[in-house]
Amino acid sequence: MNIIVPIKQVPDLVEELEINAAGTDLDREWLKMKLNEFDDHALEEALLLKDEQGAHVTAIALDGDDIDKALFAAAAKGADRLVKVTGVQAGSTHEAARAMANVLGGMEYDLVMTGVQSVDDRDGQMAVLLAHYLGIPHISVVTGVQAAGGSITVHKEYGGGMVAEFEASLPVALGIQAARETPRYVPVAKVRRASRDANIEEIAAGDVSVSAGSAVAKMYKPETGAGAEMIEGSAEEQAAKVLEILKQKGIK
Amino acid sequence: METREIFRHFPLLLQIIFYVVAFSTIGVFIYGFYRRYKKYRKGRDAERFNNLLARFGKALAMMARHSTIAKRDKYAGFAHWLIFWGFVVLFIGTVIVALDHDFLRFLGIHLLQGKFYLGFSVFLDVFGVLFILGLFMMMFRRSKKPPQLDYTRADKSATIDRKGFVTDDKIFLWLLLLIGITGFIIEGARIAADRQVMDLSFERWSPVGWAIADGIDKAGLTASANNIHLYTWWFHAVIVLFFIAYIPYSKAMHMLVDFANLMFKDEMAAKRLPRVSEERQKVAMGYQKLEDFTWKELLDMDACTKCGRCHVACPAQNAGTPLSPRDLILDLRTYANDTNGVAEWFEQKDTSGKQPKTLAGGVISQDTLWSCTTCMACVEACPVGIEHLTHIVNMRRTLVEEGDMEDMLMDTLANIGDYGNSFGQSERMRAKWTKELDFQIKDVRKEEAEYLWFVGDYASYDARIQGLSQKVARIFRNIGVDYGILYDGERNAGNDVRRVGEEGLYEMLVEDNMAAFEEANFKEIFTTDPHSYNTIKNEYPDFGGEYSIYHYTGLLLKLHKEGKLKFNKKLDYKVTYHDPCYLGRYNGEVDAPRQLLEAMGVTLVDMPRCKENSFCCGAGGGRIWMDDSKMDKRPSELRIEEALSLGNGVDHFIVACPKDYAMFTDAVKTSGNEGKMVVKDIIELVEEAMGV
Repeated sequence: MNIIVPIKQVPDLVEELEINAAGTDLDREWLKMKLNEFDDHALEEALLLKDEQGAHVTAIALDGDDIDKALFAAAAKGADRLVKVTGVQAGSTHEAARAMANVLGGMEYDLVMTGVQSVDDRDGQMAVLLAHYLGIPHISVVTGVQAAGGSITVHKEYGGGMVAEFEASLPVALGIQAARETPRYVPVAKVRRASRDANIEEIAAGDVSVSAGSAVAKMYKPETGAGAEMIEGSAEEQAAKVLEILKQKGIK
Repeated sequence: METREIFRHFPLLLQIIFYVVAFSTIGVFIYGFYRRYKKYRKGRDAERFNNLLARFGKALAMMARHSTIAKRDKYAGFAHWLIFWGFVVLFIGTVIVALDHDFLRFLGIHLLQGKFYLGFSVFLDVFGVLFILGLFMMMFRRSKKPPQLDYTRADKSATIDRKGFVTDDKIFLWLLLLIGITGFIIEGARIAADRQVMDLSFERWSPVGWAIADGIDKAGLTASANNIHLYTWWFHAVIVLFFIAYIPYSKAMHMLVDFANLMFKDEMAAKRLPRVSEERQKVAMGYQKLEDFTWKELLDMDACTKCGRCHVACPAQNAGTPLSPRDLILDLRTYANDTNGVAEWFEQKDTSGKQPKTLAGGVISQDTLWSCTTCMACVEACPVGIEHLTHIVNMRRTLVEEGDMEDMLMDTLANIGDYGNSFGQSERMRAKWTKELDFQIKDVRKEEAEYLWFVGDYASYDARIQGLSQKVARIFRNIGVDYGILYDGERNAGNDVRRVGEEGLYEMLVEDNMAAFEEANFKEIFTTDPHSYNTIKNEYPDFGGEYSIYHYTGLLLKLHKEGKLKFNKKLDYKVTYHDPCYLGRYNGEVDAPRQLLEAMGVTLVDMPRCKENSFCCGAGGGRIWMDDSKMDKRPSELRIEEALSLGNGVDHFIVACPKDYAMFTDAVKTSGNEGKMVVKDIIELVEEAMGV
């Protein structure tokens, strides 16, 4: 089975984020990047399938900041092939999916598994769009994949704690919400070895013009409110005060 | 003439039989010895052949004085000393007899006569008595069933049969005792018989033999003395020869292996863990199979006498986890012997019928390996130079390589990899704690300072410790110490990352820190963190980083002696002091904190386990990043109870390690002792005593 896992680097939210001068994006100069958490789960699910029944796993990413690091880490974890898609600055998920699909079109695959969303995409449509461009079915918000003889069974999460089980024939594109297990830790020595020994293939993106998608008009930090008021006193006094405030605000 | 006949009245045939049997048993001995030698030869190189003469001398001195055996157990040390020296003297005596009778005789030389014989007689008699006395002392000790000699295993009591160990102990003790006693009976019977027919008054120089001869006479057995001699002689000969054959297949082998093990011991074992060479990294980071062990580690396994000192000292064992350093070593021994097909006569037997497929996580379970706090109590307690900790870390390296660890530890390692700290916070927040100071600490990357203060993760990021770091900052500034910090250039020093077994990450941290040190401008380093202290002091040199580093207690004492740090107020607390493992045991720094406390006027009452024998808080070796809820009782709680048991108004528990502060303030609460014991960092006392 051939599994392709599109991955991407996203801004690390542990760091303080700044908006760029134009007010349309983060200031990317000092930005620290890390692997999109959902892509990490997609990769883990792919590697679990590989461990269980054997599979050829390809990690693929659009060229970008620190992307080699992420690809080498994927190799260290067990990915068999690394591909970097060059010549594209994807402004939207649509463009990214188009670029990815262009390259995937020339590759063999049974499963395309990517993260269901990322902190910096605006629509969470990567898996859907990939499926669209590749002309294959898709299932998203997936929390576990079981493969057996040419078809797969997946669990898809719905709101309100509902879970549905789907069976799909291959090939199929999946948006992974969570792997069955916590993504594995990859020791630094293995990553270093992979950085030295593994090979990243570069493939040009080709034409990525798309007719849909969104662009950022303005990006700004959440506006802070007028401040908080600490309510003191006994429980009864506090409750009375809260009630009074709610009445004042016109909430009945 | 003062002498005796060696094969007294024995017909030639009996003498021939004796030699034939003796040589065959020596053959059995040599074969057993060779089997072991072959086993060790299969081990990887250990680089322990440097300074051979010095090593030999040191081991000889240790053995002669019994310094490691007598340490913290005077009784066992003395009893073993008696047995050891008794055995050595009797052995030399036997060698002299053999030399005299089997070799020198043919050159016309006869040593054992005249004054030499008399001296020989009295000397051997005295040491024979000491030998037997020592054995009786050990027998008495065993009859009291001390906890360290309990071989029961809490972790797999149902699936392991260790009766063989007990049998071996008994056989060893009884063989020696019988050899000693029958030796004296032979001597007594010979004297009783011969003094009837010749003048043997010189044999009074064999006082014990003479007394036994008197006993034989009194019992009216004088006429049977010749027969008593003959049968006892043969009985003695049979058990002695059996003993010789038994040595290399039993615990008696410790007589030879343990000297070698002490001789090849690494003084820096555990303090400085082995690097993994480029070559080796291509094969494996850690230990996956028997061939991965060095010959010294294989020797370690055989060196264990099951004395159990590590077993009772281990905080993990005390906390009820499956780890016992003794059982770990013994399990490895059984594994090595089984794999090589060279079982000893009395091995433990696994009755579960399951054959573990792997070493790390199989022969030694994951839980066992992850229980270790790397406090080094086992290595320190071991009288025979076993380096348990290196075994454990080498196997942990394999677990890390395979990703066999709990999620919390995985997350922490990932955090350290991403941000350089175990808290998963931005590296830019590392020096945020300095913002609350009313002065700016120098940035040693930009300004020159005499000291680089290596702050460490806990002192930088943990909200409970940041206040202490601010105190340290203010006090050193007050004293006029010229210091600076690395701000966001500092990374976790890596001490515990290395002990977790994440060697690649450790190397990365060392490289990052050393690069930061290179850029910075300072003369010496100080740190409040004993963990950072240990690795920078002992392990960074392996990577080319030689730095002069102080623990803050050492630097404070130095400043006090120089008159810079003045204590204006005498403190009248009654305190006990907890030696951090990485300061006291790892680096022998036990005096500076005590002298500081004394200078401040507090009354210090040490806990039973103190200084090098301190009891770990349970946080080391990455344990602070793992779940501790499955323990019977946390080591930190046991320690607080130990402090409380001092009584006498001791109500302050002084620490000198950020992790200790976090662990023990928690332990006081979780053990329900809030209000009974106050945990304070030594810097808080210093601040108070300075009176500023």
